[in-house]
Amino acid sequence: MAAVVTDFVSTNVGNVQVRRGGDGNPLVYLHSSAGEGEGLALFDELAARHAVIAPMFPGFGDSEGIEQIDDMEDVVFHLLDLFDRLQLVAPAIMGLSLGGWMAAELATRYPERVANLILVNPAGLYIEGAEIKDIFSRSPSEMAADLFADQSHPMAQMMRQMDRTMADSAALSAIPFELIKPQLKAMAATARLAWNPYLHNPKLRKRLGRISSPTMVVRGAQDTLIPAAHAQTYAKEIPDAKLVEVLNAAHLISVERPTELAAIVNDFLGR
Amino acid sequence: MRFFNFHLMPYPSLPKDYDGPAWITCPNELFDPAVGQEAYNRYLDELIYSEELGFDGVCVNEHHQNAYGTMPSPNLMAAILARQTKRVKIAVVGNALPLYDPPTRVAEEYAMIDNISGGRLIAGFVIGGGPEYYSFSINPALGREKFYEAHDIILKAWTEPGPQEYIGKHYKLRFLNTWPRPVQQPHPEIWIPGAGSLETMEFVAKHRYGYMGIPYFHIDVFDRTFKLFRDACEREGYTYDPKQAGWLTPIYVADTDEEARRQYEEHFWYFVKRLLPGINVNPPGYTSLRSMESILKGIGTFAINLKSWDEVEAGHYAIVGSPRTVLEKLEGDLARLGTGNLLGLFQLGTLPADLTRRNMELFAHEVMPKLRERFPEGEPMLSTTEGVA
Repeated sequence: MAAVVTDFVSTNVGNVQVRRGGDGNPLVYLHSSAGEGEGLALFDELAARHAVIAPMFPGFGDSEGIEQIDDMEDVVFHLLDLFDRLQLVAPAIMGLSLGGWMAAELATRYPERVANLILVNPAGLYIEGAEIKDIFSRSPSEMAADLFADQSHPMAQMMRQMDRTMADSAALSAIPFELIKPQLKAMAATARLAWNPYLHNPKLRKRLGRISSPTMVVRGAQDTLIPAAHAQTYAKEIPDAKLVEVLNAAHLISVERPTELAAIVNDFLGR
Repeated sequence: MRFFNFHLMPYPSLPKDYDGPAWITCPNELFDPAVGQEAYNRYLDELIYSEELGFDGVCVNEHHQNAYGTMPSPNLMAAILARQTKRVKIAVVGNALPLYDPPTRVAEEYAMIDNISGGRLIAGFVIGGGPEYYSFSINPALGREKFYEAHDIILKAWTEPGPQEYIGKHYKLRFLNTWPRPVQQPHPEIWIPGAGSLETMEFVAKHRYGYMGIPYFHIDVFDRTFKLFRDACEREGYTYDPKQAGWLTPIYVADTDEEARRQYEEHFWYFVKRLLPGINVNPPGYTSLRSMESILKGIGTFAINLKSWDEVEAGHYAIVGSPRTVLEKLEGDLARLGTGNLLGLFQLGTLPADLTRRNMELFAHEVMPKLRERFPEGEPMLSTTEGVA
């Protein structure tokens, strides 16, 4: 199996951490607001067939430059810059949640820079009566119920433990800061991009018709964070997009169902 | 030492069966206008009475969509106080700058208050509490950037002749030319409250403004906070002036220690258990990482965690007792903190009008004069060796 290695790429906003591995056509993975990447089994599965490129967005992991990025306009220009530096003319792009939204923003503006588009539980739209649940004020255990189909997943268990720690401020003071720092950074970066309008761009929906690459929308059947109407709307508005549902998966499919997700992606990309 | 009567104007009648937060989502159906009508006028009377009792000033502040402090517009209160008092300083602590767009309005309203009061305004600027970023849907990750820009706009409006132009990242003003101008020149005294963010202390130290420590922590946390502030001043190349530091704390005086506790305790607990819940939300990006690391060290001592009166006493969360006890406690604490402004909360939670007035009177007659003697204005409060360390 191809080894995934991490290095830094200099970009328009600073040094950005990029995980790379595998051979084949390039496949860019854009992470969610959870900042998944480190040790993600999905990358190994995808790297068996593709050249996987997984940047940590500025503000996440050890990537710099979030203070220079305020909105999706800045996001797209940063991604274009990163692609240019990595000599990615038109890679396949897959994104989860926040990353899916970013991928859609890029693909509506520069459809020629995207070979294939895979949106996994994408954020980015506002649908009246099917609003995305709050991620900025709910407790970790409430979030865990939306993120994981199987509540015995180690990360779901860890999130519920976090609830107990947060309720006890003495315990909170005692946690090594380095342990909670990545999560604080990830949520701060997400807030910067998605506080208001909340996790959407009001103009995105009308632009989706511009996307010209083969597109697949993937939805975790038990995703209770982003209602089904979102994936359905993306699939309806993007020309010829296909919609695939993954059973026994909730919002964080990349973390919970890496093998199933990789199989669907590999199948879609035809290798 | 300067003495201020700080009023939160709390909502005193949350129903007994309501145990939710007092912030953001506290249902506004719970606000009874009959209660509000009486409370606002009563609270204003208490502030006005401070002048007669010899306080140096009164303080109001801004909070939104909550039961803890019902002054979404402290400037309205300050305007009333400007007319109904003659001598006291009127400190608005402060306007939450990122909530005003454009922040030109703060420069205008503060200047109006300064004019009406004949130059008695103390102008407070705040970043806004964590809950306010939810209540107003303002991006918390951009709050500090907006605060700094808004500050620059207000100072520019007050101190440089207009019309002028301000082109920043968040605000672009082609004609900045505020009328009226403040009476106090070049501008009113500026106070900035802080809960321990290092950036705030550094900003205050750099501009030589006043730093007001936000309450409800163990006295040791205040000690550390003011030490950090003094250090920030030293790094700017000067020794802080006690006038630049203020300590905000609940105070209750009665004839004896026993009577004080008996009269006060239930009202204190209403405040802690009913009005504080929800104040402690920290929206993402609101606090920098380095400040978060610093603040987390003291978070366990936040008053919301208090369980017994012994803990209240031990941590000096409220200064309660006979005139003699209160004097002794305050002497010790002020000498330790080195703050030249004492901002007392003389009304807290459900404390009724009669007890509030009696509290203010006992404090003003029996405690304040002795503290004035002990800490004369303009003199250092800490031994000099400490400041340089």
